[in-house]
Amino acid sequence: MNNRIVLERVSAGYGAVTVLHDVSLEVREGELVALLGMNGNGKSTLLNCILGFVRPTSGRILMEWGGRVTDLTAMRPHDIVNLGIGAVPEGRRLVPTLSVEDNLSLAGGVRRGRGSPAETLAFCYETFPILRERRRQAAGTLSGGQQQMLAIARALMTAPRFMVVDEPSVGLAPIVVDQVIDAVKQLQTARGMTILMAEQSFFQAVEVAARAYVLSHGRIIRTVEQGRELADGEEIRRTMMGMA
Amino acid sequence: MMLIDLAANALASGAALGSIYALLAMGLAITFGLLHVPNVAHPAIVVAGAYAVALANGYGADPLLAALLLTVPFYVLGLGFYTFYSRAFELRGRGNSLQSLTLFFGVALVIEIGLVIAFGTDLRSVSVPYVGQSLSVGFVTLPYRFLVPALVTPAVILALWLYLTRTHGGLALRAVAHDERALSISGIDPSSVKRHAFGLATALAVLAGAALIITGPVDPFTDRSLLGRVFAVVVLAGLGSIPGTLVAAVLIGVAEAFVTTFVSPSWAPGVAFAILLGTLGLRPSGLFGASR
Ligand SMILES: Nc1ncnc2c1ncn2[C@@H]1O[C@H](COP(=O)(O)OP(=O)(O)OP(=O)(O)O)[C@@H](O)[C@H]1O
Ligand SMILES: [Mg+2]
Repeated sequence: MNNRIVLERVSAGYGAVTVLHDVSLEVREGELVALLGMNGNGKSTLLNCILGFVRPTSGRILMEWGGRVTDLTAMRPHDIVNLGIGAVPEGRRLVPTLSVEDNLSLAGGVRRGRGSPAETLAFCYETFPILRERRRQAAGTLSGGQQQMLAIARALMTAPRFMVVDEPSVGLAPIVVDQVIDAVKQLQTARGMTILMAEQSFFQAVEVAARAYVLSHGRIIRTVEQGRELADGEEIRRTMMGMA
Repeated sequence: MMLIDLAANALASGAALGSIYALLAMGLAITFGLLHVPNVAHPAIVVAGAYAVALANGYGADPLLAALLLTVPFYVLGLGFYTFYSRAFELRGRGNSLQSLTLFFGVALVIEIGLVIAFGTDLRSVSVPYVGQSLSVGFVTLPYRFLVPALVTPAVILALWLYLTRTHGGLALRAVAHDERALSISGIDPSSVKRHAFGLATALAVLAGAALIITGPVDPFTDRSLLGRVFAVVVLAGLGSIPGTLVAAVLIGVAEAFVTTFVSPSWAPGVAFAILLGTLGLRPSGLFGASR
């Protein structure tokens, strides 16, 4: 079976401003794919198109899974999530006044027929023991790194087949960055999760990702396949920064 | 002795009055406090609820029992009302605009006029065996027509609190006030949560209506004298705080009773706003609102 998420020539923007131009990409089942780009190049816009928060002006977003093709392009965000697309969004979007556990059970409360919420909760706590320790604490009182872990755990609670992760390392201390990126990588290797992760830090992402797309001014200017990246690393990084 | 006597009675009747204000404000604490929908029609819906209760009482039903049963049709009414509102305003990105405020004022007017046409402008009341009797403890005397409805509020607040903290729907309601996108990401439709919340608030209005009409007779324009006070309660409590609503309302009720007893009844209506202005000067987010 060729399970995958595909973007076909997607363009999108805000009002009269076009941010994404004809972006095509795919993420195959079990892959961790990185979406690289500097500030303001359209990474979040692209991920928000997949999640239904931004409507493409042209092109299609398809989920081909289990022999079925679903067009996500016009669906509402919660329907997209319930279809099996988990979201770790920019800014995390936790509910700061709810406890850690309430944030998780909110996402686990909709029956989706893919595993039991109690099992997933146990798995989340196993993966992030600190969240179990702080489960009664308001989400807003967690440190940045812990909030990021909670955002990842919440996405897991929606029983996703595919996860969209937007710059999980932004604003975190270097040592925490490694923890968070490792956790994302673990989801792929240990759970077989399919992941599309936006990142600015080229070397960080390429170390864990099978493939990377480089987004510049809303266009994919480069696709990096596994194995080639180290040789070309410096050159790609310079392309990304617009120096080449 | 005389002074203590007066003060104790003012305290008791003020607390009972405040408890009833809290019930009147509870629906608004949800629609305005949590959903930020400026539902100025809420008191009119409460009065409509009072009329519905009076009608049922005419057939011999106990007002509180009738109100409990009426929560179901009122809930459905609220769903419909919110659906209309969100189609007309929110989905077009004009949720908190002046136009939406006008819509709610319009709805209040339509309810008032509807009640006048259906029932005339005469005062309406309910008959219950305990109206006219009082509970006397020491030198404090409290009429049952205040005491009984005042006791409904703690029960409603307890139920609401259990709902908000122990159920999935309640969590979603608390979340929608903060961040609709957080709900979408959790796989929950924010508009359906808001619709449900509006239904809940409308159902609470009929309970408040029963409390109101047990307390005293009601006419189609009673909502006008309630409007300022219930908004004052919700804002004083801090937007969205349910227990805060009770504290704020009791504070206002007791202060009004003291002003009525020791100063003059004609000053009482201003008390709510005096407290509100004084508090907001010191704590802009209200007594229990999250300070930002
Ligand atoms: N809600 C919005 N309304 C208008 N313009 C927006 C909005 N969100 C983003 N933009 C613009 O779209 C462009 C792409 O932004 P986007 O957030 O997708 O970039 P990004 O690659 O995620 O950047 P960052 O690394 O800073 O998160 C930017 O020029 C930004 O100013
Ligand atoms: Mg971004």
